[in-house]
Amino acid sequence: MSGHDSKYFSTTKKGEIPELKDELNSQYKDKKKDAVKKVIAAMTVGKDVSSLFTDVVNCMQTDNLELKKLVYLYLINYAKSQPDLAILAVNTFVKDSQDPNPLIRALAVRTMGCIRVDKITEYLCDPLQRCLKDDDPYVRKTAAICVAKLYDINAELVEDRGFLETLKDLISDSNPMVVANAVAALAEIQENSSRTIFEITSHTLFKLLAALNECTEWGQVFILDALSKYKASDARDAENIVERVTPRLQHANCAVVLSAVKVILQQMELITSTDVVRNLCKKMAPPLVTLLSAEPEIQYVALRNINLIVQRRPTILAHEIKVFFCKYNDPIYVKMEKLEIMIKLASDRNIDQVLLEFKEYATEVDVDFVRKAVRAIGRCAIKLERAAERCISVLLELIKIKVNYVVQEAIIVIKDIFRRYPNTYESIIATLCESLDTLDEPEAKASMIWIIGEYAERIDNADELLESFLETFPEEPAQVQLQLLTATVKLFLKKPTEGPQQMIQVVLNNATQETDNPDLRDRAYIYWRLLSTDPEAAKDVVLAEKPVISDDSNQLDPSLLDELLANIATLASVYHKPPDAFVSRVKPAVQRPEDEEEFPDGLDAGPSELSATETEINASPARGPSNVPHVPTKAVPTAAAPPPAPVPDLLGDLIGLDNALVPVDQPTVGSGPPLPVLLASSAGQGLQINGQLIRRDGQIFYSFKFENNSLTPLDGFMIQFNKNSFGLAAGGALQVPPLQPGSSANTLLPMVLFQNISPGPANTLLQVAVKNNQQPVWYFNDNVPFEVFFTEDGRMERATFLETWKSLPDSHEIVRDLPNSFISNMDATLEKLAGANLFFIAKRPLRDTNQEVIYFSAKLPRNIPILVEITVLVGRPGVKCAIKTPNPDMGPLFFEALEALLK
Amino acid sequence: MGMLFSRLFASLFGDKEARILVLGLDNAGKTTILYRLQMGEVVSTVPTIGFNVETVQYNNIKFQVWDLGGQTSIRPYWRCYFPNTQAVIYVVDSSDTERLVTAKDEFHSILEEEELKGAVVLIYANKQDLPGALDDAAVTEALELHKIKSRQWAIFKTSAIKGEGLFEGLDWLSNTLKAGGR
Repeated sequence: MSGHDSKYFSTTKKGEIPELKDELNSQYKDKKKDAVKKVIAAMTVGKDVSSLFTDVVNCMQTDNLELKKLVYLYLINYAKSQPDLAILAVNTFVKDSQDPNPLIRALAVRTMGCIRVDKITEYLCDPLQRCLKDDDPYVRKTAAICVAKLYDINAELVEDRGFLETLKDLISDSNPMVVANAVAALAEIQENSSRTIFEITSHTLFKLLAALNECTEWGQVFILDALSKYKASDARDAENIVERVTPRLQHANCAVVLSAVKVILQQMELITSTDVVRNLCKKMAPPLVTLLSAEPEIQYVALRNINLIVQRRPTILAHEIKVFFCKYNDPIYVKMEKLEIMIKLASDRNIDQVLLEFKEYATEVDVDFVRKAVRAIGRCAIKLERAAERCISVLLELIKIKVNYVVQEAIIVIKDIFRRYPNTYESIIATLCESLDTLDEPEAKASMIWIIGEYAERIDNADELLESFLETFPEEPAQVQLQLLTATVKLFLKKPTEGPQQMIQVVLNNATQETDNPDLRDRAYIYWRLLSTDPEAAKDVVLAEKPVISDDSNQLDPSLLDELLANIATLASVYHKPPDAFVSRVKPAVQRPEDEEEFPDGLDAGPSELSATETEINASPARGPSNVPHVPTKAVPTAAAPPPAPVPDLLGDLIGLDNALVPVDQPTVGSGPPLPVLLASSAGQGLQINGQLIRRDGQIFYSFKFENNSLTPLDGFMIQFNKNSFGLAAGGALQVPPLQPGSSANTLLPMVLFQNISPGPANTLLQVAVKNNQQPVWYFNDNVPFEVFFTEDGRMERATFLETWKSLPDSHEIVRDLPNSFISNMDATLEKLAGANLFFIAKRPLRDTNQEVIYFSAKLPRNIPILVEITVLVGRPGVKCAIKTPNPDMGPLFFEALEALLK
Repeated sequence: MGMLFSRLFASLFGDKEARILVLGLDNAGKTTILYRLQMGEVVSTVPTIGFNVETVQYNNIKFQVWDLGGQTSIRPYWRCYFPNTQAVIYVVDSSDTERLVTAKDEFHSILEEEELKGAVVLIYANKQDLPGALDDAAVTEALELHKIKSRQWAIFKTSAIKGEGLFEGLDWLSNTLKAGGR
């Protein structure tokens, strides 16, 4: 029996992978192909078939194109995970790149570019070189793109092998698709390089313009984008280009249209003839209008781009405002953008029509859209003086509908209208005052209060109105409080009667004494002093004439507009942000390998000497005291030159750090387990703070790590501690160097005791506030590990221990069971406790049980002894602990610490 | 009679191709030999980074010949090709006396591979056309071929450029394989 049963343990069934492996090695071609298909299928659904790498690669040399394509697909996917074995494919690539079939040559070169394995890139240069000069245009155009891919992997190699020159030669290729791809590759390479690689000359310009009409739509986009970067030499040159590009405006592909618009806009800057410009503007309108009949998503992109275009050339679409009228079924994001463009295109000629539209929008259901419509009316009023009155009457009509948010929004814009046209439309104030009670949004309230204060002399019951707001002064948001303060002062200056005088007393009192808002307080003090020293001067200041405003909201800065116009038809023109604001190059352009070694934290090579020193110290902190890395190196530029060894002392002396505090032979800050997180990066707008209180050489330190994950450099770090049970406070300044984005710094902050002791029962809570120059103040809590207070001189003689134990009354003895603590190895535990300054005195076995009783002593600062008795059964959980100390309210904290130590 | 033989071969190999590895140090002439066998002509070659595989029909046997790159960086991957191999053709550059020791070490480490236990070994003392090339006896000595036990082996003087000796070796190989290997 026993002899036969073994068969049940060996299975004839193999796993899927070995089965596939067998099939891949089959001599039958069909079976092989099927197996590769199965492998690709498994790969597609996410199964890991990378272990079949060599078997699949061995199928690569075949005359079956289908099989070859499948193997290439597999290679693209797995070469990265098998970088060593990828070398086995090289010879086949080399062979395939010389295959008589151009499809195979192109396939080989395309796949080579997709395999991002450093080890084999070098071998692929020769085939690439050949393919760039291939007879077949399909191979050449594929090879051109491959150069850009290779540049991303190894820029130096591309330059050394002269691929860039070959690529530039391809711009003069006879085949337009090759030209387009060469341009695309060069543009891509240019974006990743800091030096000029690709510049269109008058010669290449001609070639590009010739290829433009013949290549595919996406090829056209590449060429147009390149052309938009060309600086025409004069107006004639520019006109020439525009003439050749204009037919592209008729293209069905939106990308081609927008890129063509970009080129024309760029070149128009140079064209002086107004006739030509007018003509061009006329030609650009219809294609832009056509874009708005596409899907909503494309409409949105078009609208964002048109928004930029009309800021530079409003005339293009001046007569087309009707196409921007919102349709009822437009998605909200399209409506919002259309509204914005309508405001920009509104003119005296079309304002009536536009106002009618706006008024209708203001009665729709979407609150945000309605608000924006109301605001749009106000902006038109500010923009078009002659239409202001009509706008205001529309606003008044809307106020009469008494829809709460419409009224509030209207009041906000009316305030701006009053600013724009002072002393013109005050007659409507009465109507506004009717809606006073409905205001509940801060901005609307603040606007109304501003209006009351500004026109206090014309509003009979201004004091009553303001008084009604004053009742709730302390609860109001800061925005409203500030306006109330100013309005009351204006009222008092305009009507210095008894009522306002009392009001101002109340407001000033409130604003100076009851508030913690420094802005409010400062403004109140200024008014107060002005009023008490020279009321006439106060009048001059407070009631001074205001400069006239204009509607510049949503207007872009001219230089930004220039940059965005140069990026039309890219994401930048949709975001209205320059590309570098949201695209960060993963790989800085052409980095020398030694750079990478020197700046492990990705520090940018700034003033090189400085950064080098900083990192040098950071990288080898063991050389000197741990506080060195956070010494601002800038303060001691001289320290950069001498050899590293003496630097620490020098730095220590320079910044006046007492060496007694931080002995030179002290271990590094960064050593040991990672510090717990105190302020998470997500809570600190990218600033992360790790830290822990530690005891080192008789001193308590706060060991910190500051990490800047935000996008801005942070500097000027300061720290403060709230009152706490131990009076812990900073014993020196926080030494954190300015933190560049992505960098971090470790620091040790010496701590002192008994500074600001909070009353009440002792607890371990420590509240910390950290600020810097760029961010708000961060508050976080930490728990003080009680054992940091145990001093190094806590060791007692046995006799002293006994004596002290006896001398302390029994009321000072606290007993606690620590069920979760246990001692598995006596010696190790004793050593650990001694490390925490809990000193072993004696040990005795407990009779009749296997338990042992151990005695320890410890000492808190100011010579407070703690005597400890632990009863334990080694290896079993559960420790009974009794302590005697003159300061028994520390008991719970001690047990907590002991529990942590005996985990 | 011919029918009888072909039926006999079929029973020996089925219609299987014999899997043969061509190994040896870099610049020994493996790729040149492969294409000389396959096409009968000398092709210009570059160092093989990876492998070449061709089917060679000779003496009614189909050989699936794998020519693996001999550079130091690729030698570790030879073992990926060992399973199911019937024969190894080990190519030695007979004129490169300095590296004969390396060639010997590589050769013997291949022989120790478990997966190649059943493979017969054919050694080509290649580049006989070059002056100073060692003859087969000297190569046998240098490679310590006499240490080979329990395996059939043979050595042939060859010149891939001139096409000498290659097919004699293949004759031996096909006969040995027909006779059942081992």
